[in-house]
Amino acid sequence: MPPVGVDRTRERSATGRKPTTGRVRRSDRARDEVRLGWMLAGPAFVVMLAVTLYPILQAVFDSLFNFRLTDPDAREFVGAGNYAVVLTDAVFWDSLWVTLLITVVTVAIELVLGFALAMVMHRAITTLRGWLRTAILVPYGIITVVSAFAWFYAFDINSGGFVNNWFDWVPGVDENLNWFAAQGTSLFVIIASEVWKTTPFISLLLLSGLAQVPGDLEEAAKVDGATSWQVLKRVILPNMKAAIMVAVLFRALDAFRIFDNVFIMTNGANGTEVLSLLAYRTSIGRLEIGLGSAISVLLFLCVILISFVAVKGFKVDLASARGGE
Amino acid sequence: MRRRILATVTALAVGAALAACSGESGTPTLTWYINPDAGGQAAIAQSCTEAADGAYVIETSLLPRDAASQREQLARRLAAQDGSIDIMSLDPPFIPELAEPGFLAPVPAELEALGTEGVVQGAVDSAMWDGELVTIPFWANTQLLWYRESVAEAAGLDMTEPVTWDEIIEAARSQDKLLGVQGTKGESLTVWINALVASAGGEIIANPEAPADEVELGLDTDAGRAAADIIGRIGDEGLGGPGLPTADENASMNLFASDDGSFMVNWPFVWAALGEASPDVVEDMGWAIYPQVEEGADAAPPVGGINLGVGAFSDDVDLAYQAVECIVAPENQAEYFVTNGNPPSSVEAYEDPRVAEDFPMWETIRDSLDLAVPRPQTPRYNEVTLGLQETWHPPSAVSPDSSPEEATSLITAVLRGERLL
Amino acid sequence: MGALTTRQKVGWAAIAVAVLVWSLFPVLSIIMTSFKTQEGLFSGTFLPQEWTGENYAAILAPGGSAQDLFLPALRNSIGISLISTFIAVVLATFAAYAIARLDFPGKRLILTTALAVSIFPVISIVTPLFNLWRNIGLYDTWLGLIIPYLSLTLPISIWTLTAFFKQIPWELEQAAQVDGATTWQAFRKAVVPLAAPGVFTTAIIAFFIAWNDFVYGISLTSTSAARPVPAALAFFTGASQFEEPTGAISAAAVVVTVPVVIIVLLFQRRIVSGLTQGAVKG
Repeated sequence: MPPVGVDRTRERSATGRKPTTGRVRRSDRARDEVRLGWMLAGPAFVVMLAVTLYPILQAVFDSLFNFRLTDPDAREFVGAGNYAVVLTDAVFWDSLWVTLLITVVTVAIELVLGFALAMVMHRAITTLRGWLRTAILVPYGIITVVSAFAWFYAFDINSGGFVNNWFDWVPGVDENLNWFAAQGTSLFVIIASEVWKTTPFISLLLLSGLAQVPGDLEEAAKVDGATSWQVLKRVILPNMKAAIMVAVLFRALDAFRIFDNVFIMTNGANGTEVLSLLAYRTSIGRLEIGLGSAISVLLFLCVILISFVAVKGFKVDLASARGGE
Repeated sequence: MRRRILATVTALAVGAALAACSGESGTPTLTWYINPDAGGQAAIAQSCTEAADGAYVIETSLLPRDAASQREQLARRLAAQDGSIDIMSLDPPFIPELAEPGFLAPVPAELEALGTEGVVQGAVDSAMWDGELVTIPFWANTQLLWYRESVAEAAGLDMTEPVTWDEIIEAARSQDKLLGVQGTKGESLTVWINALVASAGGEIIANPEAPADEVELGLDTDAGRAAADIIGRIGDEGLGGPGLPTADENASMNLFASDDGSFMVNWPFVWAALGEASPDVVEDMGWAIYPQVEEGADAAPPVGGINLGVGAFSDDVDLAYQAVECIVAPENQAEYFVTNGNPPSSVEAYEDPRVAEDFPMWETIRDSLDLAVPRPQTPRYNEVTLGLQETWHPPSAVSPDSSPEEATSLITAVLRGERLL
Repeated sequence: MGALTTRQKVGWAAIAVAVLVWSLFPVLSIIMTSFKTQEGLFSGTFLPQEWTGENYAAILAPGGSAQDLFLPALRNSIGISLISTFIAVVLATFAAYAIARLDFPGKRLILTTALAVSIFPVISIVTPLFNLWRNIGLYDTWLGLIIPYLSLTLPISIWTLTAFFKQIPWELEQAAQVDGATTWQAFRKAVVPLAAPGVFTTAIIAFFIAWNDFVYGISLTSTSAARPVPAALAFFTGASQFEEPTGAISAAAVVVTVPVVIIVLLFQRRIVSGLTQGAVKG
């Protein structure tokens, strides 16, 4: 935190050259602003660091050791050895690929669905609005583990799921289809449950963005004879860029760390292993803290890369001053 | 006594449940981490607390459902030298991993006999590590071959004699029925593989006590190939039903109870469970020793169950062992069997008249426990079982030509720290 | 909107039905599962062939097989999630205001930190935290979960609110400042009413994220003292070691969904009015 209290501007202006009043006021303002900014944002910043910095550093540190929790005496420094093991193993790349696949597919589906839902809620007649919003918030509020169980029981042949009976008219679906015995069908259910659970998140964020779109611009465009599609492209989307960016970024990063529903449904069987699960099974399951931390750090780096690409790609900079786009 | 009656009357009079609050301050509380059951362990904890008469109070705390997660929780906390873990219900295969780094308090000399004498052989084997008794057997589990008498009869099988896997596969095929086996990617798959390999006279690990990088596997042998052949055939021909790749003990029981049921290998819990759910199936239900791989060579049935370990970091190791002694008393084991369906490790407990009444197959269970061969006892068991599940799943993809080899190379590399799982 | 034509009415009805079915069907499905008997679970039908309350008895009735697992977990989940949400939203509101409105060095640092924190795999934070908590006595306590939950709720609150605040027209605040109000007064009088909808939306998001946590809950607790619902679900058990707790899990799932629906009903009205008022036509 920068020191707060002594106002050096005032001192200098008393002793040194007298700047113009306007300029004094401006620099006073600027300094006040810096101080206020840190007073407001500082606590959150400090808390975030305190909660995560130690564990993160510890994880990086741990990844340099060969360390198994149930064999504490055999701990040894291996430098980048764990990373070498992870990066040369097909298991890691397979799970990375599956994770990326799930991420891209879910985010793409969710962006379209979420935007449609946001538009529906935004435009809906008042009587429907409450209902729609309530309905949409239900999947969002449901615990992921619970939604995973709901989808799992519906599809699982060993729990008497009804899906096979209901959809036996679909080619390839019959009463003996075991959804969780093959990669494709398992991923289908995993992605479906992920989409169901998290689309509302995207549509909520998009809705708060939609609400900020100046209505008179839309009206003006319509008066000028623009089609709905043109209004969408020219007026609504540009004004929602920030909201879309945040929604996509957070959903992508969230999807990239998918864990709960894979854990519940397949636990990584049949080529549904995802990165988080691999890290979990290695560090918590096998208690190989070193290897697991290495996977976690790599996962973290992937995620940094994704967000970097997203921020640069969208060219929306949340940290820029006062929404000057 | 009079004081106690008086106290009880007073408590009732004020209508408070305070009398149930056990122990005045100063009574040590022992925490017993239990695997989920039908409430039997909690009941034993209560009766042992009462019997201790103020020496200690046993409180139970529930562990997760599956063995792997139970191990995970305990190992992590023991590695952090958690003093709150006094008594643990342990799944035998994971015992060496906890015993090796000294997370289990040594068994006092005077209790050695408790863990070895009058205990079924399978349970004694599972309680040892490195030639020493490290846990006390509490109950022992084994899988039997359950069959539908009507199907066995139609297939012309004489069930009074031991049958082989080939015979039951042939019977299921000829009768157009399904076999109840556990093909899900989990510990139950390893249970099946180990029983097949051991029945064929082999062993998954040739030198279980060797250091991790010197472990040699015994899968790439005739025994390993025979095991892969059986699993592969059942998977390939769809004899385990469409649910096989995700079938656990419960799913195979439901398959057995359906119209397609024929033969099933499973733990005795199915007897009580089916007795409640589908009495008509029970009417038609028989049991025998686990199937043989080679005709005439005794099968090596799976062994499971729970042993009690005491945490090395507990403040009351001596008291905890006293409590263990109370918990594993034969009458408690018999009670646990009839109420929760988990078979005793104590031979004496089988003589309880209630056992024969509720579990007509008690003799088969006891005999099976004497034949049973435990899963490999190694501190790296977790890697071994995960490596097997990785390479021998789904069952339809298991083949004698490739699976034993794949498992051998993967597990060896993982133990050397060269590969991930 | 003016009067609707019949065609529009039909169109809206169709959309509404589609959204309702999509949103509620899986919930309905697990509700049905929760009323099935143990045998009925394998019927492959959507509706229970035979309705039973036994699964609810198992988690709610005294002496039920999962009752002492479930009820404390429910209490823990509600308490811990509420507290961590409150802390996160208060801190994030100040931070997001500063980032959106003020010019000061370190803004980008804060946002980048928030991003980094929010995307770091929880898994790798868990093990070091576990060891630290054991040493300082926070293991298996409410506080021991509230603190790490801030790592989940705070970053997303900051980002969401920042994006939200950037869209707010700030003329009113500037007008207030021109009128001689201090920055603080301007903030309180002119900004807070505009910002409230965003804060509520954020609070809901933060609450549900905390409510949803699985990994921390399963790693940093060991008894009913602090174990939250998602972690407890993994401990549910049938009548024996091998029996699937399908019925009990479904019943518990329905029960924990009830508070969610209630919260949604309570909050959605605020979101509706808040979001529509927040859109200042300028």
